[in-house]
Amino acid sequence: MTTVNLKSISKSFKYALSFIFVLLILIMGAKLFRDKAWFLASFFFFSAGLIIYVYSISKKTPGKYLLPGVLLLTLFHIYPAFYSGAVAFTNDSNGHQLSKQQAIAAIIQDSRVPIDSQPPIPYQTLIETNSSKVFILFKYPDSTYWIANSGTIRKLKTNLKDIAPDGKIIKVDGFKVLTPAQTESYTSELQNLTVELDSGVSLQPQDLEFLEVSKPSFIYKASKDQLVNVLTGEIYSPNNNGQMASSSGEVILPGWKATIGWRNFTSIITDKEIRRPLLAVLIWTFVNAFLLVLLSFLMGLTLALIFNFPYLRSKRFYRTIFITPLAIPSVLSLLVWSGLFTTGTGVIDRLFHISTPWLTHPWWARVAVLIVELWITFPYMFLISTGAIQAIPNEILEAAQIDGASPLKSFTQIKLPLVVRTLAPLLVASTAMALNNFGAIYLLTGGGPTFSNSNGNAGATDILISYTYKLAFNSQEGNNYGLASALSILNFILVGLISIYGLRKMKTMEGIN
Amino acid sequence: MSTLLSFNSKKTRFWLKKVLWRHLVGLVVIAFSVFPLVWMISAAFDATGQISTQQLIPLHRGLDNFTQLFSNTGKPFLTWARNSLVIALSAAALQVAIGALAAYSLSRHRFKGRKLTLTTILIVQMFPQLLAATTLFLIINTFGKSFVFLGLGHQLPLILIFGGSALGVNTWMLKSFFDTLPTEIDEAAKIDGAGHFEIFLKIIIPLATPIFVVTFLLSLIGMLNEYLITSVILGLDSKNMTVAVGLQQFIYGQYGKNWGPFTAGALLATIPVLALFIFLQKHLVSGLVSGSTKG
Repeated sequence: MTTVNLKSISKSFKYALSFIFVLLILIMGAKLFRDKAWFLASFFFFSAGLIIYVYSISKKTPGKYLLPGVLLLTLFHIYPAFYSGAVAFTNDSNGHQLSKQQAIAAIIQDSRVPIDSQPPIPYQTLIETNSSKVFILFKYPDSTYWIANSGTIRKLKTNLKDIAPDGKIIKVDGFKVLTPAQTESYTSELQNLTVELDSGVSLQPQDLEFLEVSKPSFIYKASKDQLVNVLTGEIYSPNNNGQMASSSGEVILPGWKATIGWRNFTSIITDKEIRRPLLAVLIWTFVNAFLLVLLSFLMGLTLALIFNFPYLRSKRFYRTIFITPLAIPSVLSLLVWSGLFTTGTGVIDRLFHISTPWLTHPWWARVAVLIVELWITFPYMFLISTGAIQAIPNEILEAAQIDGASPLKSFTQIKLPLVVRTLAPLLVASTAMALNNFGAIYLLTGGGPTFSNSNGNAGATDILISYTYKLAFNSQEGNNYGLASALSILNFILVGLISIYGLRKMKTMEGIN
Repeated sequence: MSTLLSFNSKKTRFWLKKVLWRHLVGLVVIAFSVFPLVWMISAAFDATGQISTQQLIPLHRGLDNFTQLFSNTGKPFLTWARNSLVIALSAAALQVAIGALAAYSLSRHRFKGRKLTLTTILIVQMFPQLLAATTLFLIINTFGKSFVFLGLGHQLPLILIFGGSALGVNTWMLKSFFDTLPTEIDEAAKIDGAGHFEIFLKIIIPLATPIFVVTFLLSLIGMLNEYLITSVILGLDSKNMTVAVGLQQFIYGQYGKNWGPFTAGALLATIPVLALFIFLQKHLVSGLVSGSTKG
């Protein structure tokens, strides 16, 4: 009886807990909805529904175990991946981040030129007593007085007794009128002040006494979607790259973020400036990954063969020391390595009495990268090779010995094929990891030394992912998110294909069919 | 017996011929393995703070770098250490927990789309999360407008982001270990009336402790190494930084490379991880090896 009671209590407790949890998610969703975060709000509502369905309606067990992971994966991996994917089809980059409307407004704003026929207008500076904001007071175009700052403009009702003989105002209610001497301390506020009139004319202090009257040289005709330069009569229409362009191809900056289809992808092949550094980066990406896996596997396997010797003492001791590279946070060890590789005075150079341009010469930098990556990866290869060798049944080796096979023959014809077959999927996985090995490159060499023909982005040790990262966040000629996203998709496909190939070969997956 | 005789004995000759060279190779590989660690230690205790002109045994020994590290109020190392500890421990725990749930189901239950699920969670994570940093920044920024504790500069959103970030690898490792546990135990428990969650909690988890240790350790070190997304989400306020982000300031700072306090901090950060690795080495090795050689 008591056990039944306990069970029902724990069950009702479980229900109460999940009820509170779902309620919490719904409340959060509602708050996000109110704050107009549409995607996140719908994600929360959808999650709440899914949680209720999976945990109380559905009879299927697997969903109950998979849902937490799937939800986190969707929000923080799949959604960002799709978002980046969408960016790959735009020209999102420095100079193309505004919306079209904002870009056109900015163009018109920037195109103001002084009106020649209009002499500068004298103005006075006021401080609003309540807010201590800076305002200007001027007379334009006829005898009306205006009080204005960048955002607001209103007419001033004037009493004749407040106007001095020279036309200056002496007193305004709610404002303090500054003398020319007092005005000087507000120079920076006045420099940033622009008053726009409904006619499109704008007024801006040119010194502490006069306003410059200017008007934009561009007019936007919404019906035709054209910008017209009123001074030259030239007409500009949107081109296919999110810019306004004249018939002769002259473009006006800034542009806006536009969908440009596959052009980021095709430019990888057609644009010489992109293709040349990218080709070098791609080659090194693959050479680096394959060389690294080959070298570290050879080193790991050799060490495993040497130390898997029954008469050798202190094997445990060797193993413990060998795996230290795995146990040092690589973000720290990589930076230490970069210090050790200092040319001439660095520890490595002094140790071998050499002076090597480790991080400044393309080939030496590549060698340095490989040495350090090898240092990080060989312990893992050593461990799995040891495991694979120990997993070879002794009977096979004994049988070979009885048949008179030499140690060399038994190694090349029995041990090696067995070990390689066991570890093949892991080697493929390691290759995929090496293709994506951002940290080792970025912290050690920063991808450098930089190629002279790559606009300062690509370097001799850059792999695709570090090059992409630099294009997106750290470019010397303006960040190009669109192109970077296209490259990250390319990277994803390359690594994904290799991984799928590896998974296909994996024994674990065979068990699933 | 005289030494001369024993020198000629069969055993000694065998040792000289077959064993000695292995020890020599061992010494060379040890030198390679601990190379940066040794110089890290040496630089940490060198008062001149210059790794580039470093002597193995520093000429000016002292704890100056450590005092410099702890007294720098603009670079609060202890705060970084606490941040790193909180983020890495919680994120790694979340990673292992979520991975274990998924792995249990993928190992024990038979359902449609099982292979596809495993492949998908592995492949999805091949998309480099660091390139999605801008999107993650936007998501967390939006969260922060509604809930302060989920916004930029807070640790909880970062822990959630990382919570799912090793799902593929962890699930795969845990699943291949769960597969080696005989299903007969489950069947017996089922007959005794245990539900699927009870089997997971009371049978699978205790039996799979070694692999939990391995996945937790690997997740933990992965989290301690993360600095890109961490710096995007937590921002540039030095009291929000982790060890991995903060220590880099000594290297990329505006006053040039300051190796002294950097290596001192790096050493302090390395010691606990190294100790954990040595202490749990047996589990780690068997976990890595069983994940690779058992099918």
